[in-house]
Amino acid sequence: MNFQAALFYFFAAILLGAGLRVIIARNPVHAALYLVLAFFSAASLWMLLEAEFLAIVLVLVYVGAVMVLFLFVVMMLDIDPDRLRQNVWRYLPVALPVALLIAVEMVLILGARYFAAAPAPAPLPAGYSNTKALGEVLYTQYVYAFEVAAVILLAAIVAAIALTMRRRKDSKYIDPARQVRVHKEDRLRVLKMKVSRYGEEMHDHDAPHGGADAASSSGER
Amino acid sequence: MISLPPLAYADLQPLLPELFLLAMAGIILLLDTALSPANRYVSYLLTLATLAGCTWLTLPHLGAAPATALYGMFIEDPLAAVSKLVLYIAVAATLTYARDYLKERNLYRGEFFVLALFALLGMMVMISAYHFLMLYLGLELMSLSLYALVALQRDSAAASEAAMKYFVLGAIASGMLLYGMSMIYGVTGTLYLGQMRSVLQMGAFPSLPLVFGLVFLVAGMAFKLGVVPFHMWVPDVYEGAPTAVTLFLGSAPKLAALVFVLRVLVWGLEPLFIDWQQMLIVLAILSMAIGNITAIAQTNLKRMLAYSTIAHMGFMLLGVLAADRVGYGAALFYAIAYLIMSLAAFGMILLLSRAGFESDRLEDFKGLNARSPWLAFLMLLTMFSMAGIPPTVGFYAKLAVLEAVVNQGYVWIAVAAVMFSLIGAFYYLRVVKLMYFDAPEQSSEISAGADVRLVLSVNGLALLLLGILPAPLMNLCLYALKASL
Amino acid sequence: MPITYLIVPFAPLIGALATGLFGWAMGRRLSHWVATGSVAVSLVASWLVFQDVLAGHTYNANLYTWMHVGGVEFAVGFLIDPLSALMMLVVSFVSLMVHIYTIGYMADDAGYKRFFSYISLFTFSMLMLVMSNNFLQLFFGWEAVGLLSYLLIGFWYTRPTAIYANLKAFLVNRVGDFGFILGIAMVLAYFGSLDYATVFQRAPMYTQVTVSLFPGHPWSLLTVVCLLLFVGAMGKSAQMPLHVWLPDSMEGPTPISALIHAATMVTAGIFMVARMSPLFELSDTALAAVMAVGGLTALLMGLLGIVQNDIKRVVAYSTLSQLGYMTAALGASAYSVAIFHLMTHAFFKALLFLAAGSVIIALHHEQDIRKMGGLYKYMPITWITFLIGSLALIGTPFFSGFYSKDSILEAVHASNLGVAQWVYPMLEAGVFVTAFYSFRLYFLVFHGRERFHDLLHGQMPQESPWVVTIPLLALAAPSLAIGYMTIGPLLYGSYFGNSIYVADTHPALADMAQHFQGAVAMALHAPVTPVFWLAAAGVALAWWLYLVRTDLPEKISRRLSWLYAVLVAKYGFDEFNDWFFARGARLLAGGLWRRGDVTVIDNWLVNGAARAVGAASRLLRHFQTGYIYHYALAMLVGAFALVTLFTRLAG
Repeated sequence: MNFQAALFYFFAAILLGAGLRVIIARNPVHAALYLVLAFFSAASLWMLLEAEFLAIVLVLVYVGAVMVLFLFVVMMLDIDPDRLRQNVWRYLPVALPVALLIAVEMVLILGARYFAAAPAPAPLPAGYSNTKALGEVLYTQYVYAFEVAAVILLAAIVAAIALTMRRRKDSKYIDPARQVRVHKEDRLRVLKMKVSRYGEEMHDHDAPHGGADAASSSGER
Repeated sequence: MISLPPLAYADLQPLLPELFLLAMAGIILLLDTALSPANRYVSYLLTLATLAGCTWLTLPHLGAAPATALYGMFIEDPLAAVSKLVLYIAVAATLTYARDYLKERNLYRGEFFVLALFALLGMMVMISAYHFLMLYLGLELMSLSLYALVALQRDSAAASEAAMKYFVLGAIASGMLLYGMSMIYGVTGTLYLGQMRSVLQMGAFPSLPLVFGLVFLVAGMAFKLGVVPFHMWVPDVYEGAPTAVTLFLGSAPKLAALVFVLRVLVWGLEPLFIDWQQMLIVLAILSMAIGNITAIAQTNLKRMLAYSTIAHMGFMLLGVLAADRVGYGAALFYAIAYLIMSLAAFGMILLLSRAGFESDRLEDFKGLNARSPWLAFLMLLTMFSMAGIPPTVGFYAKLAVLEAVVNQGYVWIAVAAVMFSLIGAFYYLRVVKLMYFDAPEQSSEISAGADVRLVLSVNGLALLLLGILPAPLMNLCLYALKASL
Repeated sequence: MPITYLIVPFAPLIGALATGLFGWAMGRRLSHWVATGSVAVSLVASWLVFQDVLAGHTYNANLYTWMHVGGVEFAVGFLIDPLSALMMLVVSFVSLMVHIYTIGYMADDAGYKRFFSYISLFTFSMLMLVMSNNFLQLFFGWEAVGLLSYLLIGFWYTRPTAIYANLKAFLVNRVGDFGFILGIAMVLAYFGSLDYATVFQRAPMYTQVTVSLFPGHPWSLLTVVCLLLFVGAMGKSAQMPLHVWLPDSMEGPTPISALIHAATMVTAGIFMVARMSPLFELSDTALAAVMAVGGLTALLMGLLGIVQNDIKRVVAYSTLSQLGYMTAALGASAYSVAIFHLMTHAFFKALLFLAAGSVIIALHHEQDIRKMGGLYKYMPITWITFLIGSLALIGTPFFSGFYSKDSILEAVHASNLGVAQWVYPMLEAGVFVTAFYSFRLYFLVFHGRERFHDLLHGQMPQESPWVVTIPLLALAAPSLAIGYMTIGPLLYGSYFGNSIYVADTHPALADMAQHFQGAVAMALHAPVTPVFWLAAAGVALAWWLYLVRTDLPEKISRRLSWLYAVLVAKYGFDEFNDWFFARGARLLAGGLWRRGDVTVIDNWLVNGAARAVGAASRLLRHFQTGYIYHYALAMLVGAFALVTLFTRLAG
């Protein structure tokens, strides 16, 4: 067992352990942190495979962005761990045997017999750019998949906005754009009125009800 | 490294319908933000125009020889062309039926059209996929859009719950599918369907891991079809979703899922047909049994139709498990026929519903004949067709599938299928009985636009016409299979 | 040319659909124009096809394959040959006349548009029947015309008698159709095809094949097939003992009686047997049965016409009798003669019915001939045309009926089947009977004392409007001349060519051809034959009894009261059917219903199965709990079970 293999088993063990803890950790914040650990271990494994770009992207995107957001959400929500735990204990008697059975069967059926390890690829030259190679296949052979994946993200954005954006009925929010667009004619009406002296009869046939009040009320509209 | 030729315009030509659809979806998305609710019909008309444009762009592919594009990720063949054309029509009909329903429930928004178009794009990607990755991406694009569509009615607890179930279970199914794909990849060493097929034909591979992967693949696909035991989501989602979305969900994706199954099992894994044939037999028989029997106890029409879908999908799989060109053609015919029936049935529910009234209980159909003889007649045709009573297309579809199965020597399956269809006839005919022999509970006017009535009439009469003259469609289906394989 | 072939049946179909579905929007005028126009188009197309066939072009191809099942092809196809071309022309011509006539006859009826829709649809069905090139389409057409006959007999569905009559027609035709479909099934089972050409080609290979319907009694396959098919023809063409529905069908409107129950549908049986000539020629037994049935029907049904007092029923019994003549001709292997008589009969019988209808209109829907008389003064066109029809019917030389009926008599006379020596005298007697009842009717209606004054309250009867008289005149022309014009090519020329097959062992028609010296010579030769004098005697007797000694018929009927009673009771067929079949079937069905249906099937099988399914349904419903984790678990367990099952299967 050379050094590389030793590193692999080391990180793999951490990965599995962290993954398990994600599921069973009592505190959701801890669970999220274990997930971060799992990502780091996975990134390390990719490093071992000389996939530096992917490893760094995993850390940057998932650990740097997604998980931070995730932690915020988890911390902001008031989650009662004990209530969640009740369900787990209720279903464990059923779920555990099934899970074990499936696991045992998978091991029995598959084993390592059928997947003979491919011969280790020749070491790559020093100046080899992993990123460039990835880019080359991504924009040629897999360009279609790449674009469809982009469409999926677009659809996800549309869906997310459609599902979450809503105007609350009791909101006092005023749309600045609409405010700016308002014209004088929308708000103000200038009425031609007969000049009248105080005390004279007000109910002239062409004047609206309330005389001067009418102008102010139409202004408020 | 790999040096591939750069893409030229000619490489994109087979993708024209997809590109056009995507571009139009983007345009509608942007344009809709500028539209006031009163002008929303512009989005609606643009969507229909998009479908018409796609039809125009797809028609030339109908006669073309199978060809791959985009470095072998994409395949354009008559099967894809036929399926896509049917999908355009189905989506157009769906939008027409759904219009009034959406308006009454404040769902008539640009997102609905855009998501529907994205779902359609996902189906098209699946249909033309020649690579496991594309199959999966297409499936996810479609599913994601469908999840969102189901949840679109946010004020409805039932819809949110349905969307949640659909999403979680769909994710599990996707996981199974991916796991199966990775197993197959592990053994064959390729993700390209064509290569996979030739590799499997040549080499002797250990059958155990292949079968193992195959089971998970089949399970993932069975979920999308809604086949027992992966069917549990179907009734809940059908019932919970707004009927307009149920209509969308229950029509076009079923055909896309069938083509998905054909691409995986036939284009990719046909050398393993002995194995998947057995699996499909189990799934088909279970679906027909459980779907038909459970449907009887339902009082909600949407839920009843959900179980009926399960049974129909089981029946359709019979054509696939026949494992020959005629069988696949029969399955395709069945899927198209089911699509038309499903459109008619849900379209009728939509037409009879109005603001605050869903018209999805069986009682709501009581005495429909007294209220509108023509609509009752159309519903009668639909129910007859679903039950497989001649001279409707449902009868012919069942006959074609059964013939394919019997030709393969599986007489006992055919007998079982007929028995379960007989049980199924009960609940379809119960609807007919309610319409014609019971007194109406509703007495209000049926309000529906002339265009909706016209489309529904054409839809209903198509069931009759295709039953009397099934040969053109049957020949088209057989041609699509024979010219593509 | 296939486009023209398609136009022939489908123009009336379009007319029928238009008037049937959109009649509410079209109004009466437009409806009858559309329906009549569509049939006119069909007639023109038929004429073009006919000309094309005369030029020697025939056609036999499938246009549309409905389905393949187990190697058998179910197709829609046309066989256009001289036989079908002639039938198309007759059907579309008579149909057009009836359409025009209907405009006048049904003018005041509430179901005007429905009626047009039905008769156009009937025309479509009948044309599909005659143009078919396979048994399946023949059967579909056969059932479709039966259905429309049922609907049209019961057109006035508020009349109990009409409902009774159409039910009776339906049930009796069921008996015939049952034989027919059994025959078709045997054709399919033994010959492996439903295509005419294929079946006819294979048939000679089966002459030695026998089937044992009862163990130990082998019957010739072809005889069984032909007899079963003929049972179908007996139902549709109202041959004894399946004739009972035709007189009652007169409950339908008169145009229907002319179109369906005289000129076209009832002759479908005759057409079918002629079409199947390659099969029937292979079985002398079947031919003998056909001839015997025809002879009996011709004489016995004619006798019944003498005692009827309803103007339409007299003509109906005359139709039965004439159909008997055609059937007898078929039995004598003189298929072309039968078709010839079918054609002439279509013209003059449609004419007689329509003229009778004209009389009925004039007398405000009175049909009893005892209340008529002396109408010739008031209705000259109806009178003359009716007289032409009657003269054609009794076989007056130079009239169309003369040529066809005389040819039938000669053919039966020349037949070498043993049964012919019994049938021939029956047919000769039938000639006398025909002449007698025809002219009894004619004299009672148009001559003698005017007995209608009570009906019309002092008004005088009016001649019918032009839409009624035009068809009468248009039908009178062929009734007069078509026989004279066509006997040469149809019977002794090469018109039918290969469309009708006559075996060398049945030389009746060939013998006749040697003696035939042209239509004029045949007519001039008539006065030296006994047939002519029999007819003349019938006319003379009718004249004497009903114009000169009008007191005698009463006395005769009293003197021969037993015979009169038998005839009025129509030989007791109806009573027997009611007593034996209807009551017997009801008793049997009642017993089976109580024992079999209620106890075994309903209680155990149906309800038991339904209860079991219902219970299963309620049980399965409980699995649908609504909880996501239950569903997810079900999926996992399902996948696990599949993995276990199939990895074990795979090894």
